[in-house]
Amino acid sequence: MAPPEVHHLFHAPIADHSFSSDRETLAVARENIVEIWSKSNDAKGFRHLDELRGHDKTVTGVDIAPRSGRIVTCSQDRNAYVWEPTGENGAWKPTLVLLRINRAATCVRWSPSETKFAVGSGARTIAVCYFEEENDWWVSKHLKKPLRSTVTSVAWHPNGVLLAAGSTDGHARVFSAFIKGSDARPEPSAWGERLPFNTVCGEYLNPTAGWVHDVAFSPSGNALAFCAHDSSVTVVYPSAPEQPPRAVVSVAAHLLPFTSLLWSSETELLAAGYDCGVYRFAGDESGWRLTGGLEAEAGRGGERKEESALNMFRSMDLKGRGAGSADDTKLSTVHQNTINSLRVFPSSQEAVSQVTTAGVDGRVVVWTL
Amino acid sequence: MATNINWRTINIDALDPDSSTNFDLTTLTPAVQPISTAEVQTLSGQIRTLVRGGNAEGALMGALENAPYGADDQGKALHLGVVTEVLGQIRQAEMTPILQRIYQSDNGSELCDTLMKYLYKGMGQGHPATNSTSRNMTPQSTGFTQAGGRNFGGGEGGGQAMSVLLSWHEKLVEMVGPGSIVRVMSDRRTV
Repeated sequence: MAPPEVHHLFHAPIADHSFSSDRETLAVARENIVEIWSKSNDAKGFRHLDELRGHDKTVTGVDIAPRSGRIVTCSQDRNAYVWEPTGENGAWKPTLVLLRINRAATCVRWSPSETKFAVGSGARTIAVCYFEEENDWWVSKHLKKPLRSTVTSVAWHPNGVLLAAGSTDGHARVFSAFIKGSDARPEPSAWGERLPFNTVCGEYLNPTAGWVHDVAFSPSGNALAFCAHDSSVTVVYPSAPEQPPRAVVSVAAHLLPFTSLLWSSETELLAAGYDCGVYRFAGDESGWRLTGGLEAEAGRGGERKEESALNMFRSMDLKGRGAGSADDTKLSTVHQNTINSLRVFPSSQEAVSQVTTAGVDGRVVVWTL
Repeated sequence: MATNINWRTINIDALDPDSSTNFDLTTLTPAVQPISTAEVQTLSGQIRTLVRGGNAEGALMGALENAPYGADDQGKALHLGVVTEVLGQIRQAEMTPILQRIYQSDNGSELCDTLMKYLYKGMGQGHPATNSTSRNMTPQSTGFTQAGGRNFGGGEGGGQAMSVLLSWHEKLVEMVGPGSIVRVMSDRRTV
């Protein structure tokens, strides 16, 4: 297994990150700006290219649309912007989105069709935004009921109509975000057949009612996973519209809670969070279990080096311990602080072979599965 | 007249139909069955019988399986007293094997989480009830963050009971990890 590729960008938390589909461009949310980093040719590192300024409070979400390359950002200043590349010397043109929310925006994701996106907010609302040609303006429709608290995460179903949302009221919900005129009628699925806007297709309470940090649909869209603040990962398999789900499997981990998760295949989940590592879960309808961490698999060799007697005594003098003893000022994990976001590293292949994480320590790490 | 209304003291949340004060919060929490104090009392009687019969492990299992999430403060305090009593009866050397057996039973991880809740509640209490006279005492206000409810060194057995809880805590964390501690904090089903 290839060791993880670590990019230490800066000494500030990364709230969210997103790679472009060609892997050349990386957008990271740093305080109230979004920084654009591009792959440098000489080394394997990234170099700072540009920054998107416009938000005046912490940016909470950033997402690059894979095909159009448009970037959407949202922030605690209650605004969202869509940034379009203009082509002239790499400049970006921002367009303000009318979110109509009175609390911070917390997360944003493009739908697979890239014609709309969803913004979760602290106003117990999800704004589903789409472009209105006649006004040349991004407008939004609100999903309100039955959200009872801040929305922490949103995730799109592969069909681009269903939207999952996790909330601090301990529920993961599945909504229809069908926009008349722009969306084609979706195929009926286990989640529902007729799906007008704001149809609630599923509402699942976490066993301990802890905050739901992240939600994700499986690649086929026929299962929903969410992770919550009680260190658990729950997978829901719906049976038919309006029916109780076929199976709800919950795994309580012995680790600290997970903040982000994704499906690498129909039978495998990856989750990362406060334990600073990425962990694998495997299973199906009959049961799920934690199978291990990517950290341990990748191994962390080559750290120890031969020490001279001079260095040993110097180290004992300066640090009060021998150079041979483990350096306990660093965590044994690659990330030195909480991982905020875990995302699929874009590739042309269908299967997920690489994932990326970004965390509070200002590192972006590319993991090979 | 409107002039003498103090605008600062108006509860604006009550006037906002969308406000969180205007909906039933119980729908957001896991459903728990209400249990009367009398039922909790009967249960604690049964558990005490088991302990006297020498089956401390069975007593502990029974106490954790039937944690009265739906009881009122008095009932919960009563059950806490029983659980700490049982924990005090088990010797240091037996703790780890018992915990392992509990963990490996069906639903074991859930039972361990419940035990962790009782450990924290007991430690927050300051002086865990160690005998049946606790029934006559006013129950401590719930929640382990209330410093006012603590009474360090007040009871002669306080330090002793605390060290019992701490050694249980150490052995439990060794087995179930920090995840269980996080669940104590995030779980709405309190003991």
